[in-house]
Amino acid sequence: MKHTITRKEDLNAADYVIDVIAPKVAKKFRPGNFAVLITRSNGERIPMSIEKAEGDKITMYIKRLGKTSRELDTWNVGDALYKVIGPMGTPPPLKKYGTVVFASDLVCGHAENNAMCRELKKIEGNHVISIQSFPTKEDVYPEKERAKKDADEYILATGDGSVGRKGHMIDVLQELLEERKIDMVFAGGDIPALQKLSELTKKYNVPVMTTVRQIMVDATGMCGSCRVFIDGEQKLACIDGPMFDGHKVDWEAAISRLAMFKGKEAEAMECYNEKMKAVV
Amino acid sequence: MAIQERIPMREQDPEVRITNFLSVPLGYSAEEAVAEAKRCLQCKVPLCETGCPVRMDIKDIINLIADEKFEEAFLLSKKDNAVPAMTGRVCPQEDQCEGKCVLDKTGQPINIGKLFAFVADWARDNELMDETTPQENGKKVAIVGSGPASITCAVDLRKLGCHVTIFEALHMAGGVLQYGIPAFRLPRDVVDYELSYLEKIGVDIQLNQVVGQNVDFEELKKDYDAIYLATGAGAPRFLNCEGEKLKGVYSANEFLIRVNLMKAYKFPSWDTPIFCGNKVGVIGCGNVAMDSARCAKRLGAKEVYILYRRTKQCAPARAEEIHHAEEEGIIFKEMISPCRMLGNEDGWVTGIEMVKTEFKGTDKSGRPRPVNIEGSEFIMEVDTIINALGTTPNRLFLSNVPELETHSWGGIKVDDNFMTNIPGVFAGGDALSGGSTVIEAMGNGRDAAESINKYLNK
Ligand SMILES: Cc1cc2nc3c(=O)[nH]c(=O)nc-3n(C[C@H](O)[C@H](O)[C@H](O)COP(=O)(O)OP(=O)(O)OC[C@H]3O[C@@H](n4cnc5c(N)ncnc54)[C@H](O)[C@@H]3O)c2cc1C
Ligand SMILES: Cc1cc2nc3c(=O)[nH]c(=O)nc-3n(C[C@H](O)[C@H](O)[C@H](O)COP(=O)(O)OP(=O)(O)OC[C@H]3O[C@@H](n4cnc5c(N)ncnc54)[C@H](O)[C@@H]3O)c2cc1C
Ligand code: FES
Repeated sequence: MKHTITRKEDLNAADYVIDVIAPKVAKKFRPGNFAVLITRSNGERIPMSIEKAEGDKITMYIKRLGKTSRELDTWNVGDALYKVIGPMGTPPPLKKYGTVVFASDLVCGHAENNAMCRELKKIEGNHVISIQSFPTKEDVYPEKERAKKDADEYILATGDGSVGRKGHMIDVLQELLEERKIDMVFAGGDIPALQKLSELTKKYNVPVMTTVRQIMVDATGMCGSCRVFIDGEQKLACIDGPMFDGHKVDWEAAISRLAMFKGKEAEAMECYNEKMKAVV
Repeated sequence: MAIQERIPMREQDPEVRITNFLSVPLGYSAEEAVAEAKRCLQCKVPLCETGCPVRMDIKDIINLIADEKFEEAFLLSKKDNAVPAMTGRVCPQEDQCEGKCVLDKTGQPINIGKLFAFVADWARDNELMDETTPQENGKKVAIVGSGPASITCAVDLRKLGCHVTIFEALHMAGGVLQYGIPAFRLPRDVVDYELSYLEKIGVDIQLNQVVGQNVDFEELKKDYDAIYLATGAGAPRFLNCEGEKLKGVYSANEFLIRVNLMKAYKFPSWDTPIFCGNKVGVIGCGNVAMDSARCAKRLGAKEVYILYRRTKQCAPARAEEIHHAEEEGIIFKEMISPCRMLGNEDGWVTGIEMVKTEFKGTDKSGRPRPVNIEGSEFIMEVDTIINALGTTPNRLFLSNVPELETHSWGGIKVDDNFMTNIPGVFAGGDALSGGSTVIEAMGNGRDAAESINKYLNK
């Protein structure tokens, strides 16, 4: 199977979108699933949320972060990834929730936001509100890559107020929770922000499911690298999640464990930069 | 008559090998193999064969080696064992064939494992394959997982003429042989060669296919005449003690998957990182613990401790692994049991609290039962902890097929013919037992193949 890139565009200065051929993944995709990418035969297995599946293609939003995501950024339409595996994970049920919010503040969250809103809106009895926040005007994704068209209500926010509402997704959510009855909140994005968001929903007694991104290796439940602690019980983000009840997550452990390979990641980036310098 | 001693196995020097991931044993030369084979007494009743879970014709194979008929020896070993180059290296021979050898009483049993590895390697060097062209019988069988149970079942069914497709979740085939056992014990060219045999006889291996996720079990049931499930037992067991969330605490499976499947020892030219500190504590004393400890040493750890609640005489690890680990400077701390893990304010592990144990009676397995000595707790400084406490059956597949009956601990339930509660769906290997050995899994795969064949011809 050739996992050819069929589209690659910038979302903003930091994030880009790619479409990749992966028919089996596309066929079985449900919102909340992620894919595992291996870009080269000596590459890492990296998890990426799937924004949508159309025909034999899947769409992903990727942040230029470390070695793999930056190297992939130098590839073009027509280039092929070594492996695309999935869909992985156990997504939350798609059902009638009532007034349901999806809030996101970061690349993977935005992808999940689009995916979930699109399907939740199709279910009778749901009123879907999407909140997407970005740091500033320049960071806002193009309209066709936002959940605007997929939700009943859409609230755009920027940290500096340069466009949309001023503030972070949490500020917008707080206003909503004050104003009206919300039955369910979903959220994805920055992990420390998700902790705060979960604490907020708890204050208002509203259930919340958030993505708990953890470092993954096999992503098939065999290594325990992605272990998260839910109400004291150990779960695996790759097969039991990655979305969990935000009120029960041991956030301190989740935040700490995500930084386990920071030193090594910096080393990989440095080596990559050296290599690129040599090429130039 | 004085018993002639075993022909010694040449090995990489411990000082050198802890700096690489190359094979520790260097293998017999043809002369050495013949000399070792000639020591065989060719017993009338070969007890060694009763110790072999797949009942190889050990006596005859050794005789052929003694006569320098390596090709015939290879073909005869292939008859009952799809992957002799691998089992020769990883079977616990001291509990099986070599343990039953009459010479074992003298402490000098025939080195059966190494002889079989020699023959298989010789065949590889001479590009010799067992050329079977199966007679197609029109039956289609799907196999889930590509570990030793699946490999054996696939080969047997293919030889009977079935069209066999293996679905493997990972991006490389072999199960534990690929992701778990390190290359210094089982070189990857050996694994690749043994697997190439499957493709040669027409077994279709489909990688990156996670049954239950991107491949529907219901579709498999529709498209195939029978299904064999050998999804293994890779899910790590944790102690569930304080501090297990800390950074620097691994399951053995994570540590080994990073090193073996993802080649983290080649980081950064390979992308997957691994962090291995200077003082490593490995909890447990089985093969998995030995592999973890020896990998840690090769990654540059200065002190590596095996922390075990019994003594190494009771350990489940192969004798050769314990011996090699000791040669490599792994330090065995016996009769101690872990209580909790300690960390610093950055969330990194800094130590482990252990308690001393003593033996009181025996447990179900017949081994002495360790009990904690109250008040004997002490703290060991470590910066990496590897949990090698055993594994449980992989949940991913099972959670997607709720109608499949399992035991409370996760093992798949089967009848005497290895059939599950779903007609036409068979299971085997570690997914049944929760963890055993390569050769047991293979024996299991062979028995299942026989049952599947009967089922298909009913
Ligand atoms: C379920 C899930 C969904 C994700 N969805 C997206 C997405 O839609 N878009 C996106 O840009 N990113 C997503 N990520 C994160 C993405 O996997 C990492 O950004 C990526 O692996 C970074 O690789 P790198 O080499 O570029 O950077 P590195 O320098 O290797 O890592 C940078 C940071 O990324 C995280 N990371 C690194 N390796 C892994 C790994 N193996 N597994 C998980 N996280 C890792 C760590 O926090 C790390 O500090 C997701 C992660 C998970 C677990
Ligand atoms: C580190 C380590 C060292 C060991 N050392 C020894 C030794 O020296 N000697 C010895 O005899 N034994 C040893 N063992 C034990 C031995 O390896 C196992 O008993 C044996 O591999 C079990 O074989 P299996 O075929 O049942 O499963 P496995 O080898 O576990 O293979 C199962 C395969 O199924 C795949 N799978 C799981 N779920 C799915 C799914 N849903 N879809 C598709 N594929 C799936 C997995 O990815 C895996 O590749 C060791 C084990 C480990 C972990
Ligand atoms: S990534 Fe290995 S268990 Fe989840």
